[in-house]
Amino acid sequence: MTYMAVSSAFPEVFARPLSAESRVVEVRDDLLKRSGDDLNPGAAARLLNEALRKLLRANSDISAWKKLFNPRDRVGIKVSCLPGRKLSSSVGLVHAITEGLGLAGIPAKNIIVWERTARELKEAGFRLSRHGVRVAGTDEYEGGGYDNRIAFAGSVGTCFSVLMEQVDVVISVPVLKDHDIAGISAGMKNFYGAIYNPNKYHGNGCNPFVADLCTHPLIRDKLRLVVLDASRVQLQNGPAYFHRYALEYGGLIVGTDPVAVDATGWRIVDRERIKMGLKTLKQMNRQPGYIATAEKRGLGHMEEKFIEQIVL
Amino acid sequence: MKLGAAGVACSVCGIPLLAGETRGHEAEYYEKLKDGKIKCHICPQECEVTNRERGSCGTRENREGKYFTLVYGEIAAANIDPIEKKPLFHYHPTEKAFSIATPGCNFICKFCQNWEISQKRPEQVKTVEFSAKSVLFNARTRHCPVIAHTYTEPVIFFEFMRDCAELGKEAGIPNVMISNGYIKEKPMRELCQYLGAVKIDLKAFTDDFYQKICGGKLKPVLDTIRVVRGEGTWLELVVLIIPTLNDSSKEIDRMTKWIYRELGPDVPLHFSRYYPTFMLQNIPPTPPETLYRCRKIALNNGLHFVYIGNILTDTANTYCPHCGVLLIERAGFAAEIVGMKKNRCKKCGQLIPGVFD
Repeated sequence: MTYMAVSSAFPEVFARPLSAESRVVEVRDDLLKRSGDDLNPGAAARLLNEALRKLLRANSDISAWKKLFNPRDRVGIKVSCLPGRKLSSSVGLVHAITEGLGLAGIPAKNIIVWERTARELKEAGFRLSRHGVRVAGTDEYEGGGYDNRIAFAGSVGTCFSVLMEQVDVVISVPVLKDHDIAGISAGMKNFYGAIYNPNKYHGNGCNPFVADLCTHPLIRDKLRLVVLDASRVQLQNGPAYFHRYALEYGGLIVGTDPVAVDATGWRIVDRERIKMGLKTLKQMNRQPGYIATAEKRGLGHMEEKFIEQIVL
Repeated sequence: MKLGAAGVACSVCGIPLLAGETRGHEAEYYEKLKDGKIKCHICPQECEVTNRERGSCGTRENREGKYFTLVYGEIAAANIDPIEKKPLFHYHPTEKAFSIATPGCNFICKFCQNWEISQKRPEQVKTVEFSAKSVLFNARTRHCPVIAHTYTEPVIFFEFMRDCAELGKEAGIPNVMISNGYIKEKPMRELCQYLGAVKIDLKAFTDDFYQKICGGKLKPVLDTIRVVRGEGTWLELVVLIIPTLNDSSKEIDRMTKWIYRELGPDVPLHFSRYYPTFMLQNIPPTPPETLYRCRKIALNNGLHFVYIGNILTDTANTYCPHCGVLLIERAGFAAEIVGMKKNRCKKCGQLIPGVFD
């Protein structure tokens, strides 16, 4: 079999400079509501594949995944597990993603599902694994799992998880949730879990820090897909799970533009907050300013007029 | 390192650990807010922390509405240092200090020399569990008459430092705190009951520097300096002079006038040479002439004990402010008392401020 060169494999999606318009697909379905604290992997796979077909204008699931991934890619799936099982990236959804990567011809051994710590992964319901699809915490790696070199990205100086270096491409699989300081936590803020000192970058609503961090080549050049888990959305009191403000939304938001995905997530959070009788994040003076900063940094589109929204 | 599991209690405070949690000791100086949030009152960052999140220091975590320190007794560095290395020049000079640190800091100084332990979260650093008693035992058996809480920021391991200092005071082994001074008044006053001395890094005399380079503010540090002085705990100040950032004559003039006015002429002031490190690699080391200029300004403003550090110079010596005779000779971290008898100048009998045995 002859493989395409990586650089020529994805011209339409990852062309630089940024395309004039971004596309984001939102799927809503009762099958995307959590049963217990998880999603059915089969249902998640079907709906995710449908979203990807729309996103990439592909005729089949296989062609959709192949538009994004090369069989030789080593793929890191960055999940978000801080809040424990009730509000972490769904195990079923992650399973669906790994199946999709299989459709692109990527062997299981070249896929790693990871988070900051093994403890967080376990608490979120993942089973740690060193075989097949690897599931591991950064903290399981030598020396604590962080590069010893300081990486600079605008206002951020940090050390990255060694896993960011070990993979060719990254899929961000966060959970859509309110964040007490940042406004919302979604695709971009998920990368606070890729650095050793996220606590130092929560000032001023995490702005410009989230945006600056995502300009680092390890993220900007490797991030290929964001699958925002909105099966259960925390609308207030996040980022931890808080039952009173947790909404069984039953959604998935999928895109390749991290700014557009986050902006879409923000709009959903605000819309649902109003339905719940809460003020919007802006009214609470908690709007996620880092999203606008990310747009200014050229990471993607925030404004609705530049985002083609497809709702399934 | 403590290894906890569901149903297991913390070996220090007895509070049950949550499933899978590996460490934790209930923190002090925090306030419970509504909906499970807490507000930390240990330092002026005053972090408001939601469940499962940590404060900006990365070492204190909200667990279901209770705030825990993750670094109680988790020692990342333990060494025997000359006390001159802290630097403390008027506190048990020539003695050894059993020096310890846990991971973490409430600042993010771009020039931090110890960033590999100060800027990391507890789980990213190898630690050894110590009790306050074992710290005291180690100091005693290694013939160290002083215990120093140093290297990172002791404020973030307040509870452990306080316990060590309390035990040390009873046992006659005083504890000293080498700090950025970024601590709220109440915990600082509590510490002053037990500490023998405090060294504070006055990192600059502008709020801009504190905000942009350190991630803090100037005023709370000045407040702490006043509190320590007011409590009568021995105090020394260090200023790391960084070219172009905090080395203007105007700034040093304002700073040293403030020290003279608020603290008097007898608080030792150390101007230290900066070397490129961590996130500040693009500025060359401080020229010695800059340090001499700063010292001259401080002396002109009336301060009696102004030292230069991180270079070999006789300005590290202590001279009698009355008759000018050499009292303590220093070379690097080595020191020898040559002109003092107890705490007085041998020649003129001038009382020298400090703690001298």
